[in-house]
Amino acid sequence: MPRLREKTKKAEILSLEEAVKRYVKDGQVIAFSGFTGFNRNPVALTWEAIRQGRKDFHVLDRHGSCSSWLLNAVGAMKIYETDWMGWGEMAGKLDINLNKRYQRGEVILEDYSHGAIAMRFLAGAIGAPFIPYYAPLGSDLYDDKYDALGKAGLRDGKHPKISKKKYIQMDEPFWGDGQVMLLPAARPDIALIHVAQCGEKGTARWRGIGTIDKELVFACDKVIITCEEIVPESELRKEPNLNQIPYFTVDAIVECPYGGYPSAVPFYYDYDAPFMRGMDAASRNEDDMKKWVDEWIYGPATWNDLIVKVGAKRLLELKADSTTGYSTRILRGKKPAPRVTMPLSVARSGY
Amino acid sequence: MADYNTMEQMIVTGSRELLPGVSVAVGTGAPCAAAMLAQKTHAPDLLIIFEAGGIDPQLPEMPISVGDSRTIWKASQATSMTDTMEAFCRGMVDYTFLGGAQIDMYGNLNSTRIGPDHQKPKVRFPGSGGANDFGSFCWNMMIMTPQDSQRFTEKCDFITTPGYLQGGNSRDESGLPKGTGPYRIITNMAVFDFEPESKRMRIISINPGYSEKDVQDNCGFELLKAKKIKDTHPPTQKELTVLREQVDPYRYVIGR
Repeated sequence: MPRLREKTKKAEILSLEEAVKRYVKDGQVIAFSGFTGFNRNPVALTWEAIRQGRKDFHVLDRHGSCSSWLLNAVGAMKIYETDWMGWGEMAGKLDINLNKRYQRGEVILEDYSHGAIAMRFLAGAIGAPFIPYYAPLGSDLYDDKYDALGKAGLRDGKHPKISKKKYIQMDEPFWGDGQVMLLPAARPDIALIHVAQCGEKGTARWRGIGTIDKELVFACDKVIITCEEIVPESELRKEPNLNQIPYFTVDAIVECPYGGYPSAVPFYYDYDAPFMRGMDAASRNEDDMKKWVDEWIYGPATWNDLIVKVGAKRLLELKADSTTGYSTRILRGKKPAPRVTMPLSVARSGY
Repeated sequence: MADYNTMEQMIVTGSRELLPGVSVAVGTGAPCAAAMLAQKTHAPDLLIIFEAGGIDPQLPEMPISVGDSRTIWKASQATSMTDTMEAFCRGMVDYTFLGGAQIDMYGNLNSTRIGPDHQKPKVRFPGSGGANDFGSFCWNMMIMTPQDSQRFTEKCDFITTPGYLQGGNSRDESGLPKGTGPYRIITNMAVFDFEPESKRMRIISINPGYSEKDVQDNCGFELLKAKKIKDTHPPTQKELTVLREQVDPYRYVIGR
């Protein structure tokens, strides 16, 4: 039976607290926007969910991010269907908390690849039950011996959001192409999305890369959007070709400046790599981790207070250029070079 | 020893494989440095693709992440991962660079775990990311990695990204696209290709400062040898200058 969602939605503008209270529930299958820990992670939403004590999430996402890192820092993730256990590339590849919890058997980890998860969301977005994909052929990622959800007895058909099989390999029946792998659609309960701009009806826009966020909003049952700014719909409709999310997919809109921090929002602010390295360093020691959680998750009274705590000096450094979309004021890397107004390589690129 | 390090040698060797006009999919780190170096030296029109959505940028400085906004500077498109996967699936990407914790003689790669027990591995790595997709669809898969006999192993504990599987025709028989597969392995000691029939790894050139014995001693399986094994060209002064001053001035990669 085709899987239709309820009729056209009407999005409400809510506070961060209210949006989480109303839509985010324990044990949900959840998906996040952005790319790894660096681009448009819905950090404020995840942060608020943790503060409201939400737990036991089944995260279905291509890779770790600041959001998945926060969930593992407080032990709020139970199942992780992913393809990359890192969260921040050069800022600390493997998510230490996730690895510890995985080794202790507290998280079930189901491995795919980037393309495989993207394809699963594409299938979810068009309401299809599965999608054929060639890349998985020959990989041990698709071997019943390593089917973690199957081993845990969760593919028994009693869990509506967990497919009865991880994959099916078959002979391609239409063209005679040979072997092909079928992957189950992704059908999460809720998508948490952070974007640059959202209209009061829910039409949303980002600049820079989109990863699979457009597919997310169609594949997930509920969609919460946080944005750097709510802008008049009429403004967004002057250039409709620049809008990526249609309003009728959205349930709740939250205006939350710096809601993606410490990940980047292109043309608004850059990622805060030193802060992320601090997160990674804290996760290497139980005491440091506890201190970090108390200081940054439970310390600030509101998200705005957290941003105030980060401080104007840091935010000025992160402020994105209007031409490049990222900051050429902040210097990255373990040993910051002396302050210059622009890295040499940018100057030479003809900026 | 010459005044460059082995990471610089690997990046330079990798960049020389990227001829003008070809397309390459890269992640961050050494592969990105090799692509940037090629773009800034002999191949200004090199088409670089990042799976998060950046298509054909002129990289201004080293992106830390594949989702970094530096990956869309002067790009043709800032699009989505489903869109970039279309390019992969349709064979529009000529080259890719991957890495792995283990690699065997057929170029199969493990970036998932070490140890016999999948649920309780000795070491767990982040996993595939885009590697499985790149390795399956890019015409020529290249690997840039330091070499030792643990990493170059008889048998991978887990095949995350298939190379030539069990050698011979086994990759084709698995259903993966014909004509694709591992192409070059670039290490700190040597460069390898794959013998066309057996699909086994073969030494084609050896880096300055290393002997054939070093290369074999630091490999966990028997390597084939090309009829004539060449000396790998050391980096030129121009390549080193561009690499150090424009590609990686903060030594993120070459300082490792």
